[in-house]
Amino acid sequence: MHATLESPVVVAEKVGVSFRDRSHSIRALANIDLTINAGELVSVIGPSGCGKSTLLRVLGGLLPPTQGTLRVWGDAPEKGREAKRFGLVPQTPALLPWRTVRENLTLLPRLNRGAGRGPVGDEEIDRLIGAVGLAPFADTLPGKLSGGMQQRVSLARAFALEPPVLLMDEPFAALDEITRSEMRFLLLKLWRETSATVVFVTHSIEEAVLLSDRVIVMTSSPGRVACEIAVDLARPRQQGLEDGDAFHHHTVELRHALQRSTTAFSGMDPSP
Amino acid sequence: MTATDQSPHTTGSVPAPPGDGYESEDELAGWVPPRQPIRLLAPLLGLLIVSVVWETYVRITGVSPLVLPAPSRIVRHIASDPGFYLSHGWVTLWEAMAGLVLALVLALAVATVMAHSRFAERATMPVIVLIQSTPVAVLAPVFLLWFGFSPWPRILVAMLFTFVPLVSNALTGLRSVDHDTLEVLRSVDASKREIFWHLRLPNALPALFAVGRIAMSLALVGAVIGEMYGGSDSGLGRKALQAISRNLVDQLWGSVLALALMGVVLTLGVMALEQRVLRWHSSQSHLD
Repeated sequence: MHATLESPVVVAEKVGVSFRDRSHSIRALANIDLTINAGELVSVIGPSGCGKSTLLRVLGGLLPPTQGTLRVWGDAPEKGREAKRFGLVPQTPALLPWRTVRENLTLLPRLNRGAGRGPVGDEEIDRLIGAVGLAPFADTLPGKLSGGMQQRVSLARAFALEPPVLLMDEPFAALDEITRSEMRFLLLKLWRETSATVVFVTHSIEEAVLLSDRVIVMTSSPGRVACEIAVDLARPRQQGLEDGDAFHHHTVELRHALQRSTTAFSGMDPSP
Repeated sequence: MTATDQSPHTTGSVPAPPGDGYESEDELAGWVPPRQPIRLLAPLLGLLIVSVVWETYVRITGVSPLVLPAPSRIVRHIASDPGFYLSHGWVTLWEAMAGLVLALVLALAVATVMAHSRFAERATMPVIVLIQSTPVAVLAPVFLLWFGFSPWPRILVAMLFTFVPLVSNALTGLRSVDHDTLEVLRSVDASKREIFWHLRLPNALPALFAVGRIAMSLALVGAVIGEMYGGSDSGLGRKALQAISRNLVDQLWGSVLALALMGVVLTLGVMALEQRVLRWHSSQSHLD
């Protein structure tokens, strides 16, 4: 599944999404030009309601774009979905409460057998449960776990699919600060062992800088790409990175980019 | 659904995960009374109190058994001819369960179609409201006319008594699936069938069990009403009606008590099953 470096996985050209609401249509996304390379971890950041989640759903083939062309591995995203190339991690853990942790992990590989990506071996499932620190809870029902632990199951479930593309929609946003920080490094650890391409939607500047190779800044109504910022911090990124000057420099740069984009596009001038 | 939502004495049973900053709340929970015997005792105590009050009332006032027999008298009467109550109870039970099972199967099928198509839902809704508004009891003689001397009129009444509550709860359960979970399943292109078996149906179980307890007694009532219109000489409802016309007070009250006890046992059975099947659901968390 290793794609050669710099080979584009996602290519979007002038992609737009409009929702019909009775008489008038609402534009959620407009003119999205985007290239994401194999093995890249790209964050999408922007204010609430800027269409970040919509973009993620379009990339995952869950929502068809109404304008422009979008290719994921040269195919329409729906084809990628049919071939089980996407691992989705939504904001809530979205576990099946009647299945144990292990049963939650084994479910997705068993669905849609037609995609030709068979069930994952027990050893791999056990390894993943261990990797997210839940080995003692493999046979526990999700309702007995804390919110952070449930989200770790959700993360492990996506990795259990061994998907070439991981789509994450603010997966850590509902967690407390300490758990969130742990989850970010856990994600980096799991991701390092794969060659997956990750699209990570967030509204946290620190999270975007910490995780990403590149940050796409979006602006709202309709959602557009304002700019892109490269994050050239060395990998593997370890705890303590947030304290360094380089990290700080990037967060400042990103914050300014976000401020510029919101004022420029909304037409509001913060200074009188 | 998360451990933190639960009451303190249930979180005490959650083992502390390593390095999660998550602490066992054993110290906070304090002393928890042993619940197992109390759980069995409480319902029995309630029944006992009602019986004692009833018995005492009858003995003090000396009211005629024609008006109100003492519970001890009814129990003695049943014990004097258990075969009678067992055989007729069996008939009523069979009719009620056949009606309930048919209603459940039909309700699941209809709700499944409705859950997948707004058009089907709009087309079916008026029919369901129609069934709900129809006085089914009045229709029982019509069923007798249609099906004659067979168990079908009684089964049909029991079925129509339980169908509407079952179908509406099944529909709610099949529909109200978690949006994010549905998207996760869709993200791997799970088929509608897979989504039904793995998400919609289990998701509907709590609502189905909740209505199942009520449907149990509704089915019994339906079977009894069906029996009252004749078409057969057996069943507790039939026997109760005969007792009225022949002035057999003991048989009337014996039939009523036997029906009531049957309803209690069946409802407890549903609850026991619910406890096993819905171990994962928050409605059962107080039992841990």
